[in-house]
Amino acid sequence: MARKVSLFVPCFVDQLQPEVAVDAVTVLRRVGCEVDYPDDQTCCGQPAFNSGFWNEARPCAERFLRVFRDAETIVCPSGSCTTMVRVFYPELMGAGPGHDEAVAVGRRTFEFSEFLAKVMGLSDVGATFPHTVTYHASCHGLRELRLRDEPLKLLRGVKGLKLVDMLRCDECCGFGGTFAMKFENISVAMGEQKADSIAVTGAEYVTAIDPSCLMHVQGIMGRRKDGAKTIHLASILASER
Amino acid sequence: MSSAAQQFLRDAAAKSADLVHREIIRKNMESYDAAHLRGRSRFKDWETARRRCQEIKREAINHLDHYLLQFEEKVIAHGGHVFWAANSAEACGYIRDLAVSRGVRTVVKSKSMVTEEIHLAPVLEEQGIKVWETDLGEFIVQLRNEPPYHIVTPAMHLNRQQIRDLFRDKLGEDVADADPQKLVALARRKLREAFFAAEMGISGANFIIADSGAVAISTNEGNGRLSTSLPRIHVAVTGIEKVIPRLVDLATLWPVLATSGTGQPITTYSTLIAGPRKPGEADGPEEFHVVLIDNGRSGLLANAEEREVLHCIRCGACLNICPVYRNIGGHTYNTTYQGPIGSVLTPHLRGSDFQHLSYASSLCGACSSVCPVNINLHHHLLHNRRDFTAAAGSKASGRLQFRLWRIAMVHPRLYAVGGWLMRRGLRLLYGLGLAGSALDPMRAWSRKRAPVPLPRRSFRAQWKKGMALTGAAKE
Amino acid sequence: MASANPSREQILERIRAGLRVPAAELEDRRFEGQIFEPVQNPLERFQQECKANLMECHLAAGAQETSAKLAQLLRDLPGGEIYVQDEPALRRMMDAVADGRAVRWSTEGAPRETSQATVTLADALIAQTGSVFVSASCGGRGASVVAPCHIVVARVSQLVPDLETALRNATAEQRLEKNSFACIISGSSRTADIEKILVQGAHGPIRLVVLLDLES
Repeated sequence: MARKVSLFVPCFVDQLQPEVAVDAVTVLRRVGCEVDYPDDQTCCGQPAFNSGFWNEARPCAERFLRVFRDAETIVCPSGSCTTMVRVFYPELMGAGPGHDEAVAVGRRTFEFSEFLAKVMGLSDVGATFPHTVTYHASCHGLRELRLRDEPLKLLRGVKGLKLVDMLRCDECCGFGGTFAMKFENISVAMGEQKADSIAVTGAEYVTAIDPSCLMHVQGIMGRRKDGAKTIHLASILASER
Repeated sequence: MSSAAQQFLRDAAAKSADLVHREIIRKNMESYDAAHLRGRSRFKDWETARRRCQEIKREAINHLDHYLLQFEEKVIAHGGHVFWAANSAEACGYIRDLAVSRGVRTVVKSKSMVTEEIHLAPVLEEQGIKVWETDLGEFIVQLRNEPPYHIVTPAMHLNRQQIRDLFRDKLGEDVADADPQKLVALARRKLREAFFAAEMGISGANFIIADSGAVAISTNEGNGRLSTSLPRIHVAVTGIEKVIPRLVDLATLWPVLATSGTGQPITTYSTLIAGPRKPGEADGPEEFHVVLIDNGRSGLLANAEEREVLHCIRCGACLNICPVYRNIGGHTYNTTYQGPIGSVLTPHLRGSDFQHLSYASSLCGACSSVCPVNINLHHHLLHNRRDFTAAAGSKASGRLQFRLWRIAMVHPRLYAVGGWLMRRGLRLLYGLGLAGSALDPMRAWSRKRAPVPLPRRSFRAQWKKGMALTGAAKE
Repeated sequence: MASANPSREQILERIRAGLRVPAAELEDRRFEGQIFEPVQNPLERFQQECKANLMECHLAAGAQETSAKLAQLLRDLPGGEIYVQDEPALRRMMDAVADGRAVRWSTEGAPRETSQATVTLADALIAQTGSVFVSASCGGRGASVVAPCHIVVARVSQLVPDLETALRNATAEQRLEKNSFACIISGSSRTADIEKILVQGAHGPIRLVVLLDLES
């Protein structure tokens, strides 16, 4: 019987990088999942939460829990948004009834690569991507969700893909949400250091599990006219040529 | 925005763009990273070591009064004095009065962040007392009349030529080839005169040990040794949170501190001072004073969530790993404690003027991942932000924007329309070549980065148009 | 005392008030690993660590060979006063090897700045970190830091495997009740404050030498 998966699409993916979610759906269906998308979802609330406005973030969380109440398994192509739900919702909801629900929903929420590699135990999802690729270890996925091996395992299962190690692959790209705007100069400097690390690898593509990291790095590399291109892990795994 | 915050933004902008600075810090940190990794490999189980250190500090902080009293009792029994200072003024006042009453003309100091915190040196200098920083890095920044750049490596931002020039100008001796060995030898010669002439030595304390009534001081250079051996008065200045229960706790804390700070298995001189010289001892100070400083620390105790911030052993690992610190450097923080621990602690010790430090972080969590006492530093930054916006009430910057944002986010149609309008509007604007201009609401992005992607259709629109069954996106 | 330091009671009261709020829970995870690999061969480990610490370690079989090695070390030093811990074993040794060199004993006072070397015993040696554990009873504070060369005359029976053992022993022996000072020394003085380049011989000795008698 096909596994039922509800797609949780981060607001900025929905609006700015929809191809990431489209490709995630392709991959999930290819490995035999039945994918549905609760189309009244909006945002997990992370921007308000990170800025300290927990009272504005809480209604988003409550909404999320309502929208996904009956979802068996929730999959999200973003480490930071998955972190928001699994790691921070219980704290945000405080010591009330919402707390237990937040914990329960959190347990059913997985980042995309985590779901494929850990929950479904896959390493080969039928993808082909004959290019050199280097991996950026997005902070939330790495440190909050403790995903280090899962994305790499999936990348190694891709036909034709040559993985090139990046020095300081776990150093923050500098996006950090509103940080990128509020502390523009520091964010750009961090992004430049990341772009330098990417350039040293000589890889054609840099990939990650967080679309926001890739958007930030693309902004820096695009301005500098660096050679490498960004591509989300889901898009690599969706690729069949 | 406080003036401190405005200054921070200016300094951060300047330092972030300074490529020479970036390269110096990168090289220094590369060297530290390698040493740190080697250091951790000497542990069989690093995570257990961190947990053990966390438990030791937790025990100490959660029984702070008990352990401080035990420490005090023993110090007094050994013939020492203990002074409890509520704040900087009281601490400086005690030390100044002591120095003046004992006719002190020269002081040698080993490294102590808390003496920076209370601004001790100027208070003594006002009395005509010459204060010598004897830690080489501190000596260097003292000659330059600037604060330490980093809590463990105060002169990290300087290269050997700059140090050679400094010594030539301030010490009157030119080490033409700027050889580090010769520069160190010059500093040693100059400071030796100070060590032997000084009437008072002032040290900090890495730990104060309750069961032994002793102060533990870790140095590599030996300056901490000389400062506490030669002068006739020794004053140890410490925050109240430095206490640990037992001498044997150092078996874990010392190696962990050294590994996190510099990658060493243990610092060269792990010194224990338990009082003034005893009858029959060959040498040592006649007087021993410990100044215990509160200066806002006891306030953190009442906050159960934030209490663990007092566990910090001041190793510097969080500074070293922080990508923000690596780009803006220590001076930009403009506070005694820099980097992640400084950003967490300073708003509590010095008030809301420094809240901007809690926001100047991408919350990457690298700090928490290296903290040897498992302080969840980046989560504390989140808590600071939450508490600050709550305290600022209606005046919190961004409150209106987030209120509007929330209204959109709880109404899916509003969210969808708002998103579509935003993309449409920006596409129009960027099409006119106005990306990054004053009219661009995203100019804080587009000024220095290629503009964000602006697709014609959101995922939701594509899904509604037929992905539900076939999974193929129709453009 | 209360009147001389009114803040004392205020600070204690603030601490007690703060601690009435119970502590946050500690994450419930099992940590049963050993922090350090147990030291299998202390003598071998001590020698390895000495080397890494840029210390010198000379082994000797018995009192006579120890004296001979000390004599050799002193001969190789520039001329000048030697400061020695005043202790019967060292008195005997120095009688045999002083060779006309000026000796200042610790009972005469602190070491002079012009000392070429100091000679002391130790309270213990620690294999884990290649350390020498000294205290005020080993000739005072300056004896292990003032001169450019510090020579430690030690016995293999003083060698303990690790820091934990050394500190437990120090606690049991009440070392810090009997001494105002103790120090675990793990190398020659050094600094990396200039460009993170290691330079030996900052303010303390540039040479730390351990003479280890294997027969006592």
